[in-house]
Amino acid sequence: MTEAPQHNIRSIVIAGGGSAGWMAAAALSTVLAAQRCSITLVESEEIGIVGVGEATIPPIQLFNRILGIDDNEFVRATQATFKLGIEFVNWTKQGHRYIHPFGRYGDDFGIAPFHQHWLRARALGDATPFDAYSLTTAAARLGKFQRPDGNPNSVFSTFSYAYHFDAALYAKYLRGLAEQRGVIRREGKIARVNLDGESGHIQSLTLDDGGKIAGELFIDCTGFRGLLIGDALGVGYQDWSQWLPCDRAMAVPSVKVPETTPYTRATAWGAGWQWRIPLQHRTGNGMVYSSAYMDDDEARRLLLGNLDSDPLDDPRQLRFTTGRREKFWHKNCVALGLASGFLEPLESTSIHLIQSGITKLLSWFPGNDFDPAVEAEYNRQGVNEFERIRDFLVLHYNATERDDTPFWNYCRTMDIPDSLSEKVEMFRRNGRLIARDLDIFQDSSWLAVLLGQGINPLDYDPLTDNIQPSELDKVLTGMRGVIARTAQNMPTQSAFIDAHCRAPAVSFGKEIDEVL
Amino acid sequence: MSDQSIKSIIVVGGGTAGWMSASILSRFLDLQTCSVTLVESEEIGIVGVGEATVPLMQHFNGVLGIDENEFVAATNGSFKLGIEFRDWGKMGNVHFHGFGDYGDTIEGVSPHHHWLKLRQMGDMTPIDDYSFPYAVGRRGRFGQPSPDPKAEAAFFRYAFHFDASLYARYLRGYSETRGVTRVEGRVVETALDGENGNIKSITLADGRVLEADFFIDCSGFYGLLIEQALKTGYEEWTHWLPCNRAVVVPTTRDGPPTPFTVSSAQEAGWQWRIPLQHREGNGYVYSSAFIEDDPARDTLLANVKGEPLADTRVLKFVTGRRKKFWNKNCVAIGLAGGFMEPLESTSIQLIQTAIARLIEMFPDKNFDPVMVDEYNRVTANEFERIRDFLILHYSPSQRDEPLWNYCRNMDIPDSLAHKIDVWKSCGRVAFQTDESYQEPSWVAVFMGNGILPNRYDPLVDLIEPERLKLGLERRRQKMAAAAEAMPSHEAYIARFCKMKDAA
Repeated sequence: MTEAPQHNIRSIVIAGGGSAGWMAAAALSTVLAAQRCSITLVESEEIGIVGVGEATIPPIQLFNRILGIDDNEFVRATQATFKLGIEFVNWTKQGHRYIHPFGRYGDDFGIAPFHQHWLRARALGDATPFDAYSLTTAAARLGKFQRPDGNPNSVFSTFSYAYHFDAALYAKYLRGLAEQRGVIRREGKIARVNLDGESGHIQSLTLDDGGKIAGELFIDCTGFRGLLIGDALGVGYQDWSQWLPCDRAMAVPSVKVPETTPYTRATAWGAGWQWRIPLQHRTGNGMVYSSAYMDDDEARRLLLGNLDSDPLDDPRQLRFTTGRREKFWHKNCVALGLASGFLEPLESTSIHLIQSGITKLLSWFPGNDFDPAVEAEYNRQGVNEFERIRDFLVLHYNATERDDTPFWNYCRTMDIPDSLSEKVEMFRRNGRLIARDLDIFQDSSWLAVLLGQGINPLDYDPLTDNIQPSELDKVLTGMRGVIARTAQNMPTQSAFIDAHCRAPAVSFGKEIDEVL
Repeated sequence: MSDQSIKSIIVVGGGTAGWMSASILSRFLDLQTCSVTLVESEEIGIVGVGEATVPLMQHFNGVLGIDENEFVAATNGSFKLGIEFRDWGKMGNVHFHGFGDYGDTIEGVSPHHHWLKLRQMGDMTPIDDYSFPYAVGRRGRFGQPSPDPKAEAAFFRYAFHFDASLYARYLRGYSETRGVTRVEGRVVETALDGENGNIKSITLADGRVLEADFFIDCSGFYGLLIEQALKTGYEEWTHWLPCNRAVVVPTTRDGPPTPFTVSSAQEAGWQWRIPLQHREGNGYVYSSAFIEDDPARDTLLANVKGEPLADTRVLKFVTGRRKKFWNKNCVAIGLAGGFMEPLESTSIQLIQTAIARLIEMFPDKNFDPVMVDEYNRVTANEFERIRDFLILHYSPSQRDEPLWNYCRNMDIPDSLAHKIDVWKSCGRVAFQTDESYQEPSWVAVFMGNGILPNRYDPLVDLIEPERLKLGLERRRQKMAAAAEAMPSHEAYIARFCKMKDAA
């Protein structure tokens, strides 16, 4: 029986501002408020932030709630819009489009899940698309938005939402919150990471101005480079380029559009894809591509040639390697954000992975003895989570009919991870979904993408045969009707934002130059 | 409907597993298009281990539309709030694994962390004092959980003790009413399809031949179809769960029925006491490597309180699992699939989850190997997680007897070693795939066996120590008051679900 005294962490150093750094600072300062634990964040204004991930997925709401952030205030402060899902254009084949909605399809009835009944109806000759049973998709297509209702009997409980926001404004907003809650911000560039000769733990950071910052727990938010976890502690990186071959992005903002779509658009091109993220004050755009199959000039030309409004700046290029850190937590250092890995922005998982890393860190918060068993468990969960997202992303590239470019030929024929091929194979045969631990994407997301990418089950759950075809038809018709009517009656996203959370107008370009 | 649909199912064996399977099939299948036949022989007795269950049982009865009170009355049953463990860990130790947590979370943190902090401050209140089911159980009371989610009495669940043969009889009535055909007979031969190796038919002792598309093997340890016919193989776990015999005896009850099972560790195993309305079930589970049958029987009889109502009976088993639970066109459910000893009453639970999984992955005549593999993968995980949970009752023991010394020194599975390490380090449970037991159950067994974490969740320090102390004290008082307000277990049974022939 152990009665060891409690050794709590007394000082935390966060290396790097940006989304990851300030999200960590805001969350830790909120939760550890009474711990008398100092939190210092080191960042340099000289180093820009990558600010990938202007689009998010629904769990961000939970994160904001923990921080005590008011939803409307948050939307105003970050020039945000609402996101009901992602529209994928030209992925399955040229001219094809589908939506991955943040909401479920239909209602389960009988003893099989809803989609099995739909599969059976299809086998009986009913050609209604699966989409017709998603209120989220219907609302997104019509540009409608309102907040969901918690009452499980309400059709408004069938969807959820996330945000598109300005990542720099988000970091700024969280900085304000974190500083209010006692986080010390230290301006400076990290020149050296000092390790303890014996334990190999990080002792302190030396800044370029000669200052030294000591701490017990270090959080590496220094981006792709991983200054602490990689450079100093030597934790390697697992390269996933063979499955996710895109390695560059070119980003450019463009003039805002009057009616913002409540969804992100991802349009596939010959060797990558283009994002379109409408905010209140501008539209974010970018081209994600594989440098092996498309050169930078071509990417720039395609991007600028396919904006739906004028660009506000020159395109900015980013380079990355998809994959993950071998360990996310090593000794007294936890890597968050790009320092922990990057899975490309196709399903807007970057900010979610930061959030989930923070949540995991809080629930596995160490003592200053840094027990390796806790580190091992944190890493085990982190690896699972990364691999599930990886599989979900690979599915978008691999399950395609496209054979028009070498890039798509590669993706279509590449070897995919076993965990994914098992899942796809099972679905293809009988429409059943294998659930795996720590998968943030639920069945409805997998259904959207599996069916959207053209994987059509050959068979359906035989137990659905218990329901008479006429009864089945009646139930399905009823659901479709409710969904179509409800979507029609929802307010447009613009009307909703006007009523609740319109952000102050911002001007760009010449006007700013004139002011300066 | 496709030509590949299953048109006929034969369930072999009519014990708990067989009739539970048949009743669920009759509930969910259209028996006009798919026939269900159960073959059992009155010559072969049923093992009927597992007269105690876990709370999932409520769900099973709910799905069948069986009224709880009717079920308890029909099976001479009683209510089970958990298991009281005596002399586990060390002699004199008493702890409770209740069906419920140690109260609601406080500021998002599980209560055992708060308890740990108070303990480090010198407050030695046992954690069992925060178990509401135990507060009720130790008072010999029982009542339904409160519908008010804020009430202390909302945080528990319950299961049942019942007479397994009466339950099988009850479900037989249910199934036959819905169109399941019962065939009396002993299976003497199984014919396989020469081409694909599937089971084609079974032959009964009287010469009748029965064919079906799909077979469910509920024939018990012997595994008439899954093992004897299909040679599936068995993975033995005796090195981790060394008990391999049970000597059982029903007795009269010497007092009111306790609303919990009692499990007392013994020199070479442990003894159960399960109160029913008309009698008490008793059994000594032991390892034949550490005690002979005769002294085991003597121990059992010396420890029962009531008068024996029958001769003692010895059951033999090998802990472990079938290498595949589903092989070809045959699924093994119940003891035919594997057995992990009755310590946490998981046998009936495993029957239930197997049936649920079968319904979820109901096959057609192709018996798609991808789906069958997935069924086996998930079931194997479930078995292994329960196995780990059971080993945790044995391996930390400090008792100085040959069986316990063996258990303390044996190599345990890596999955369990990791869980113990993480728990010791920070008081959290490292959940793995397909866990049956939730956090409070693991906490109960860790704590009950004297494995305390080195530290509590640092977020506990957000609360002022004095406020915390006061809050937990109040919680104990509220639990006691809520427990006192419930009727006695006996009175509850008399009022709502008294057995028929004892009116």
